[in-house]
Amino acid sequence: MEELIKKDNIRANVIAEHWEDAIRKAGQLLIDNKKIEEDYINSMIDSVKELGPYIVLSQGFALAHAAPNETAVHEPCLSLVTLKKPIDFGSPNDPVKVVMCLACTDKATHVDLLSKVAKKLMKENIIDDAAKCTSSDELYHVIND
Amino acid sequence: MTKPKIQCVCGFGCGSSLMLRMAIDDILKKKSLDADTFCGDVGTCLSNPCDSIFISRELAARIADRANVPVIVIDDFMNSQEVESKVLGYMNTLQ
Repeated sequence: MEELIKKDNIRANVIAEHWEDAIRKAGQLLIDNKKIEEDYINSMIDSVKELGPYIVLSQGFALAHAAPNETAVHEPCLSLVTLKKPIDFGSPNDPVKVVMCLACTDKATHVDLLSKVAKKLMKENIIDDAAKCTSSDELYHVIND
Repeated sequence: MTKPKIQCVCGFGCGSSLMLRMAIDDILKKKSLDADTFCGDVGTCLSNPCDSIFISRELAARIADRANVPVIVIDDFMNSQEVESKVLGYMNTLQ
């Protein structure tokens, strides 16, 4: 097993009020762990406001991210949360049950990490399996095992 | 047939486009098809030389009327059946 997302950056059953809140809560884990600054969260939210909810890449799954940012992101990293109550982002792939935040410093450094995670996410039913987790521990194993 | 260049596009060319690119690479490999894939962002993708653009529905609306290569819309980036049928559909048009 290779740890793709650290336990500290994973939280199951998060309560979010609306899509902005969902992104904020997923990003907050990275702030708490001193990986990013608040500015990066604001950029992720602004990008959805500007470009639409295209970050809802798949049924029930959103990949929140913004333009690479060397100031507000200290190292490329990911966080993962599942939502206690699924939330609409205004996408055909609503409602969103799983939110992943991707923070990158440039266009290249995170590619290896994200590629590995993408392979994992392309496994059948992984989003449903993640959404069903009742604890952060369980969610950690779904994404990392 | 010359090797086609497929551009995968998202907002910034580094997150979701990379996921899409991997899904497309997977299909190309599985079907032993030869194509180059690379990532681009919606703001600059039309000035990158390529033979086709794969993109999400929301973003496609921003470029579709100005693109001079086929724009292929993907609704679910992680749905391998959808990605496969659209990649094969596009590759078939080249033969």
